[in-house]
Amino acid sequence: MPKAVRYHANSVVYFKGDTNDRVYILKSGKVSLNYNDIETGQEIHDIINTGEFFGVKSALGRYPREETAVVLSDAAMVVFSVPEFEQLVLKNTRIIMKMLKVFSNQLRRMHKQVRNLISEGKDGLEPEEGLFRIGQYYLKSQKYHQALYAFRRYITYYPSGKYASEATTHMEEAEKALQGGGAPASMAGMGTGGGKPSQSAEQREELSETAKKYYNAVSLFSQDNFQAALEEFKKIVQANNSEEYVAKSQFEIGRCHLGLTQYDKCIEHYTQMIKHYPRHPDLRDALLYVGNCHEKMGNTGKANGFYKKVLSMSSENEVIYRKAKRALRELEVSK
Amino acid sequence: MNVDLSMFERFAVTFQPGDIIFCEYEPGDNFYLIQSGRVQIVKILGDIEKNIDILQPGEIFGEMAILEEAPRSATAVSLDKVKALEFNRENFEVLMKGNPQIALKLLKLFTKRIYDQKRRFMILTLSNIEARVADVFLMLAEDQPTEDPDEDQRTFSTKVEDIAHWAGMSYAECKKVLNHFAGQRRVEIYEDHIIVKNINDFQRFVSSQRKKEKAE
Repeated sequence: MPKAVRYHANSVVYFKGDTNDRVYILKSGKVSLNYNDIETGQEIHDIINTGEFFGVKSALGRYPREETAVVLSDAAMVVFSVPEFEQLVLKNTRIIMKMLKVFSNQLRRMHKQVRNLISEGKDGLEPEEGLFRIGQYYLKSQKYHQALYAFRRYITYYPSGKYASEATTHMEEAEKALQGGGAPASMAGMGTGGGKPSQSAEQREELSETAKKYYNAVSLFSQDNFQAALEEFKKIVQANNSEEYVAKSQFEIGRCHLGLTQYDKCIEHYTQMIKHYPRHPDLRDALLYVGNCHEKMGNTGKANGFYKKVLSMSSENEVIYRKAKRALRELEVSK
Repeated sequence: MNVDLSMFERFAVTFQPGDIIFCEYEPGDNFYLIQSGRVQIVKILGDIEKNIDILQPGEIFGEMAILEEAPRSATAVSLDKVKALEFNRENFEVLMKGNPQIALKLLKLFTKRIYDQKRRFMILTLSNIEARVADVFLMLAEDQPTEDPDEDQRTFSTKVEDIAHWAGMSYAECKKVLNHFAGQRRVEIYEDHIIVKNINDFQRFVSSQRKKEKAE
């Protein structure tokens, strides 16, 4: 049973280095957790608020206390053993979720600190560059399957990134190596035998031919060559060899129109696209672009409507939500 | 873990051996619970691919992406044919609410990871490179329960490059320190393992060094 206990001011609940498997929740009074910052050695005093748990990490992780818990003014708390604590939170996942967020933040901070010490001065890579470098690493070590994955992701996230055209070229190299090589070299070093995705060779070739064309067009787009990109994307749509790439190209065609400042064409194209693909993965981006077009054409009312529509379809932690929010704000300012 | 996951069958995904499940630096939206097969977690540092961990069925990975928006911090590759349940931010909360056991498991995973990271950090704060290498052995010893607590000698099947990595130094630098230790008969270096003759000696060495550096 969880126990209610009282501590007088200036007493200590536990010392740094102690091992015990108790978790505490502060009911009233004031408790401070004292420890030295591992980076600077500076003494830190974290004040616990009433209603807050403490001692959770070391109790759950079964390692020695990392801080000394000092009572600053007479305090009442409830003490749980680990099994009691587990029972409590299992009935109340909200507590777990909250703690998960706190812990994951701490963990990220630790990762960063460790990284800073390991690669002194040499800061962590920007995600864009990092992703590209990983592709290069796999290509160099002839793990083409993996290289292809990394470059594909690069192109997906950074279609107009600084390495977009290089990534496209590398992808072609990797695809060629995979098709020519028979037994894929990508499996070397994985310690396992074959096992390719279960597609017939023919189908794969067809698909990769279309993929090649698609990425070529993406590369043109990334170099701001919108007219040429537009024509390439249109060809992919006409050839109609791969449902996936047709849908992707349809989306890109709209972006080309936008790039070419053909706003009415862009709106018309996306209107058609949305009718045809009501569940297109890039639906919200398309709506955002339609809003952009209306804004450029001076229809701020319509633009406003589309941005709000995007907002209503997104949750706050999504990139698209922030994009729409920003567009709305700018619309407001320019009025 | 006694959790009935059959209701989550619709979230099942499969990967072929060698498939990248996700790549370091990618924005991450999904996290995974392995049902069968093994997953290797690697990091690419310059020209080397470093093994971070090999995960077994029942284990969770990619979970950090779910809690905050940040790029993946490592690459996950399937070693075998892997079947996993894939969750995203939207269904994460549902999963957690419906399966507090998984949430609790995740919470414990985090406490362990935070501790491990702190321990690694402690090694790196030592400026004396010999003490740093010795402290790597202490960390490894803490993770490796002993058969006989009175026995001073410990055997580690750890590669020099891994020790160099933990100690945050180059391979050559680390090798030099190890050779120096070997010259003092404090360690014996073999092809596939390293013997520390007296782990308590290392313990004393590291703690005196820590005190000294703190006083400086």
